[in-house]
Amino acid sequence: MTSPAEQEVLVSARGLEVHFPVRSGGALRRTTGALRAVDGVDLDVYRGETLGLVGESGCGKSTLGNALLRLVPPTGGTVTFDGLDVTAMGRKQLRELRRRAGMVFQDPFASLDPRRTVAQTVSEPLEVHGLHPGRQARAARVRELLELVGLDAGVAARYPHEFSGGQRQRVGIARALAGEPDFLVCDEAIASLDVSVQAQVLNLLRRLQRQLGLTLLFISHDLSAVRHVSDRIAVMYLGRVVEVGPAAAVAAEPQMPYARALLSAVPVPHPELERSRQRIVLRGDVPSPARVPSGCRFRTRCPDVFEPCPDVDPVLQPVGSAPGHLAACHLHGVVGAPVQRAEPGAPVGAGDPAS
Amino acid sequence: MTQLPAPGATPAAPPPAEPLPTTTPARPRWRETLGLLARNPTAAVSATVLVLIVLVAVFDETLAPYGPNEQDPSLQLQPPSRDHPFGTDEFGRDVFSRVILGAGTSLRVGFLSVAFALVVGTLIGLVAGYYGRWVDDTLMRLMDVLFAFPAVLLAIAIVAIRGAGPANAILAIGIVYVPIFARVTRASVLGVREEVYVRASRSVGASDWRLITRHVLPNAAPPIIVQTSVSLAFAVLAEAALSFLGLGPRRPNPSWGLMLADGRGFIEQAWWYAVFPGLAIVVTVLCFNLLGDGLRDVLDPRQRTLMAGGGR
Amino acid sequence: MTAPLLEVEDLRVDLRTPRGTAHVVNGLSYTVGPGETVAVVGESGSGKSVSVLALLGLLPERTATVTGRALLQGEDLLTMAPERLRRVRGPGVGMVFQDPMTSLNPVLTVGRQLTEGLRAHGPVSKAAARARAVELLGEVGLPDPGRAVDRYPHELSGGMRQRVVIAMALANSPALLVADEATTALDVTVQAQIIDLVERLQAEQGTGVIWITHDLGVVAGIADRVLVMYGGRCVEDGTVDDVLERPVHPYTRGLLGALPDLATADDADLATIPGTPPAPTDLPAGCVFWPRCPVRGDARCETEQPPLAVVGAGGGELPHRAATWCAEGEAS
Ligand SMILES: Nc1ncnc2c1ncn2[C@@H]1O[C@H](COP(=O)(O)OP(=O)(O)OP(=O)(O)O)[C@@H](O)[C@H]1O
Ligand SMILES: Nc1ncnc2c1ncn2[C@@H]1O[C@H](COP(=O)(O)OP(=O)(O)OP(=O)(O)O)[C@@H](O)[C@H]1O
Ligand code: SF4
Ligand code: SF4
Ligand SMILES: [Mg+2]
Ligand SMILES: [Mg+2]
Repeated sequence: MTSPAEQEVLVSARGLEVHFPVRSGGALRRTTGALRAVDGVDLDVYRGETLGLVGESGCGKSTLGNALLRLVPPTGGTVTFDGLDVTAMGRKQLRELRRRAGMVFQDPFASLDPRRTVAQTVSEPLEVHGLHPGRQARAARVRELLELVGLDAGVAARYPHEFSGGQRQRVGIARALAGEPDFLVCDEAIASLDVSVQAQVLNLLRRLQRQLGLTLLFISHDLSAVRHVSDRIAVMYLGRVVEVGPAAAVAAEPQMPYARALLSAVPVPHPELERSRQRIVLRGDVPSPARVPSGCRFRTRCPDVFEPCPDVDPVLQPVGSAPGHLAACHLHGVVGAPVQRAEPGAPVGAGDPAS
Repeated sequence: MTQLPAPGATPAAPPPAEPLPTTTPARPRWRETLGLLARNPTAAVSATVLVLIVLVAVFDETLAPYGPNEQDPSLQLQPPSRDHPFGTDEFGRDVFSRVILGAGTSLRVGFLSVAFALVVGTLIGLVAGYYGRWVDDTLMRLMDVLFAFPAVLLAIAIVAIRGAGPANAILAIGIVYVPIFARVTRASVLGVREEVYVRASRSVGASDWRLITRHVLPNAAPPIIVQTSVSLAFAVLAEAALSFLGLGPRRPNPSWGLMLADGRGFIEQAWWYAVFPGLAIVVTVLCFNLLGDGLRDVLDPRQRTLMAGGGR
Repeated sequence: MTAPLLEVEDLRVDLRTPRGTAHVVNGLSYTVGPGETVAVVGESGSGKSVSVLALLGLLPERTATVTGRALLQGEDLLTMAPERLRRVRGPGVGMVFQDPMTSLNPVLTVGRQLTEGLRAHGPVSKAAARARAVELLGEVGLPDPGRAVDRYPHELSGGMRQRVVIAMALANSPALLVADEATTALDVTVQAQIIDLVERLQAEQGTGVIWITHDLGVVAGIADRVLVMYGGRCVEDGTVDDVLERPVHPYTRGLLGALPDLATADDADLATIPGTPPAPTDLPAGCVFWPRCPVRGDARCETEQPPLAVVGAGGGELPHRAATWCAEGEAS
């Protein structure tokens, strides 16, 4: 892989925020606060790479993936796709974005319309975007797509309930590929599949990427799978990307305490290794995205927390030896925006607000 | 440590296409539904009886041995006999013929009023469920208000304002059922709208119109279909009730409700006068209800996977 | 050797379906000792869940036929009176179901459901039960347990619900814990926390554990013994080291070969097992795995069912057994 610096950025998020309103119960349903599902994400996805996105459940991975494609409207920050501002796109541009960026969903049993045949499902993007006009041309393209994902073209007339999970996921991938996208978001695309089938889909995704030059955002909580397919890995915690870098570097030498805990908790299928493995077991409450801790958002569970952590919100900074390896943690130098406090004489972080 | 071959090792070559399970032939959903329905005895019998009733209503003039108002003063209130299997009424008219000829009126009122409720109610429910927020709030509050009136009272009010007659009975019954269809549709749409496949279609750029017509409505349809069958039962009953109260179709044209109302006065001398039209209503209503139950079973996706031998 | 806690012998489960009888579990035998963890792994649909539901009498009575024996501390669960069985669930066997929503009552608060379980099996004051409920929720890593105890299931995330169900299963300190995909929905850091908790319980109280999972990494960490299921049969069992490090059955090997490795990512494709598992209504004659087996090196594969036979370095207390005709290539 070439170093990230030389690579062209395809998708880029800057200060991206998706806040959901929190409503009080009762009849009035007043908005009482914000659930900060995505809260200031800076992330670049380079053309042709696979970027793995990991993090615990509810940390905002799916919301981020959706926001990059504007399937969820961002409430702050910007997203650019191939240089175009996604948040400012009009109807026509948005449709073009939908063609150029696809999504593969987690549950292959839920993501296909049970009342439509495989052919109808796969040709939907073609119809929507007027690609390969004419019934025969479309049918031919559907056959081509099915063969591309390793399905027999003869299955086109069948309904989803006749397929196994792995086969359905292939149909889902074929649909996502129909518009010849540049960018594919795979949101937990293998999570609900059998181990033996996961391997088929992982192989397929890798083959497609090499063959079609796709850019992939691979969201998963399976770190081994992410490590297997990714060029780079980004770790998310409570709505923020807290570490990002070359896959080998992040997997072998995570620099931010949360990333370290996460990677240390990944079980490996070798009993001896597994027994001798040093797990970092986190203590303390998992905060809710509706009540994000001040300063470093990981400080309530961080085993290494020290003075500046509650007061300065860390930003991504170069860490470790690998180029392009960034982490947001004061252990690598206190850099970040000091927390605004109501009382005067609040402690001020040593770093400058870098943004 | 594995001896398994790794297919597709060269990036350019797609792995061999997988053989598919051959147990289930490709079969459209509605064919499957019909097949399952045929295997449900009550539903199958009800559907057959209803088809017969509809055929009777269509070919009423050919089937009825006498005209609707053919009177024979010498044969007033005769009990059932070979010539008059259901007996005769106070004007000496053949009850059997009038039941046959009344089927059309009763069913027409039922079908048309339900069709009205189906179209209007489904549309309202669809829009409310799909767009949500204030659209939903406004439309559903409106439906609540409509629903709060007792059904017959509402129908009576409408007929009272617009006058009696079949057309107004249809409108009245139809309006009464609009909120029910709106609610059923909305509830169903709310569920389907959040389905991943709807989001998936949106992610490839499908428009709202496309999402609604191709994905949401077809998948939200089963409860609406069940509701249609059940409502038809109630609509036939409602037509009878309105006619009974003198607010529906007017005499001397036969309708089951009217006959029931007229026959009531003679129930002691001539039971057949009221009982046979009453029976016609009961059978029709029962069949629509049973068919509705059968459809509910057959269209329930959980039921379907169980019957089809388990999904995953 | 101490008496086993649970002794399952020749368990068979047939389920009647409109398509014919599904032979979901076909002669399963295993034991769980006190403090021991038996991991059950296998393809989706191989009968893992059904085999434990059968033990607790939780299959639909009208369609399920269960035969065999399942002795829990000497008492046969399969012939037990329903009333007695109900009392065994809880202090005898704690179960974590695969789908957390089905084991939670949507109209009761989490705390209410936990305290009900506690109070049903012994005299505990309301306040004490509540305190214990909060403590349990804290132990399974639920944030803010004091507040969560008054929430309704739908107000919790999937992972939180899962942890509530685990807390319920642990509430009465069961002799046997059955965990069906208990941590699959959780992320690895919380999973580690729960595994810690269960291991502590085992050390303190000698709880026996049946752990059903897809995650062979988890198996490597917690299991003493592994049972690999395919098509309703046990195709391989033995100590965790034997099964994961020296697999014999082609299916087990395929499963392990299909796993990506966190430490060594290379560019090679993962091995896959082509084809799909058999339908339980339509099991192949002979070896259940033969339609997908890459070895198929014996004339009997397609006609005769291989017995579960000891392989490798002989008997011992925990023999390594596999059901295949072609066991020569072991440990290669
Ligand atoms: N439409 C929504 N309205 C309100 N809150 C939402 C919505 N979608 C997501 N959230 C909340 O935003 C947070 C992030 O959710 P998200 O689905 O992005 O997490 P995730 O990282 O994908 O988790 P998982 O691994 O479980 O899929 C969660 O707290 C979730 O409850
Ligand atoms: N109530 C039921 N009626 C009919 N068949 C059933 C029923 N429950 C389960 N089955 C079938 O029994 C087989 C075994 O199911 P089971 O749930 O035990 O699988 P599993 O090994 O737990 O799989 P998973 O890993 O997906 O949970 C499957 O083929 C399933 O379809
Ligand atoms: S900034 Fe402080 S609290 Fe945050 S991860 Fe680093 S050491 Fe821990
Ligand atoms: S018995 Fe034959 S078909 Fe079955 S696993 Fe062994 S080699 Fe394969
Ligand atoms: Mg997600
Ligand atoms: Mg299961």
